Amino acid sequence: MRDFEDYCWRDLLTPEMVQIYSAYHRERAVRSHSALVMIHPPADFVTTDTEWHNVARSLADFMRQLELPIIHSVRPGERCDERLDARPNEIICYRTTESAFLLSDLEAHLTRAGANGVVLCGAPMSGALRATAVESKSFGYKTVVAEDATGDEASLLRKMALFDVAHKYADVLTASEIIDFLT
Amino acid sequence: MPGHISDVTTLAGDWPWEDILDNELRSLLAKRQTRPLLGKHPVIIAVDLYDLVYDGGPKPVVDLMEKFPASCGEYAWAALPATIKLFETARALNVPIVHVNYDNRPETDPANIHPTNRKRRQANLALYKIKGELAPVEGELVIFKKRASAFFGTPLCAFLNELQADSLLFVGETTSGCLRSSVVEGWSYGYPCLVVADGVYDRFLLNHKVSLLDLHLKYATIVDLAFACKAMRAAKALVEAA
Repeated sequence: MRDFEDYCWRDLLTPEMVQIYSAYHRERAVRSHSALVMIHPPADFVTTDTEWHNVARSLADFMRQLELPIIHSVRPGERCDERLDARPNEIICYRTTESAFLLSDLEAHLTRAGANGVVLCGAPMSGALRATAVESKSFGYKTVVAEDATGDEASLLRKMALFDVAHKYADVLTASEIIDFLT
Repeated sequence: MPGHISDVTTLAGDWPWEDILDNELRSLLAKRQTRPLLGKHPVIIAVDLYDLVYDGGPKPVVDLMEKFPASCGEYAWAALPATIKLFETARALNVPIVHVNYDNRPETDPANIHPTNRKRRQANLALYKIKGELAPVEGELVIFKKRASAFFGTPLCAFLNELQADSLLFVGETTSGCLRSSVVEGWSYGYPCLVVADGVYDRFLLNHKVSLLDLHLKYATIVDLAFACKAMRAAKALVEAA
């Protein structure tokens, strides 16, 4: 496993920052019966980087093959982001606030699906996805964020959100690292 | 001012994030929509101002880590006078203060269940005591939480309804942790949220600045102590005029 700070945020690090956050360094892992929660960005979301959609789609395809639950978090009144390729039989939870959990039925769906962990991907990383990661940890799920399957409107906001989440709330791994854990 | 969308100056001088802005962030700030400020019945939410984060005194965090791993050191102490002043002003104007603390009852604190993934080398639960200078006075509410947000699994929503709150003023720590997730949920429950920059801190400045900027862009309005006090006085004047 790569070093705990060898991530997209590496150019922000100073020795002091690494030292202060070293209390959070730990082993990372994915639980075998994790659900994939895909955060579909709002319709007016703009990003220059679109590669994350492709990565998110392949991660979803892999988890579908394992018959793991896949849940789509979508803003009320909006449709699934076509680039995330939701399937007609998959659950949609409407995200009325920032976190996919707060005031939605996501927690009930995860309980019924018997999920013991949550894998998150989507956008915006510094908004809905971050808020969801914090609540997923609060609900007691082992939470993983797929680093390369997340998008944002600003690079600095995405990197800092991933840094904060990786240290406090969730294990941040690439989609291929997640696939290795589940294989 | 209260209750209206407004382009008033909410913080004197430079924004705390001025030195980290790049073109992407400048363009997001330019698109930021102004939000309602305080209403007639603001409530202060003071997040996690317990002894643990002042541990070891006003020194650089990096120098305190070994002996006081949960301390925010110099940043905690620097925010103390402004927070005391905010509380004094609020009490004089009858603005309710809701204090948020960690539930330190040992039976709610089993091994392997933690609000964050921080390794807690220091198990002294007695330090989850609100700092003396900021301690609740008779009649003030205290929320005991187990998770990052002050709302998660607590009666805070009910308290705010019973207080007939229509807007929230936040102080506390950490900017990128419990304070942030509490503001996000305050906004999610429909309250206009102000964050008093002089009373908010973290363990590292970059995380602090980025979270303040994120909060200002997405959920809240960042204000300084003077604006917060002015807004509370204006709220009281509105109530008295009605």
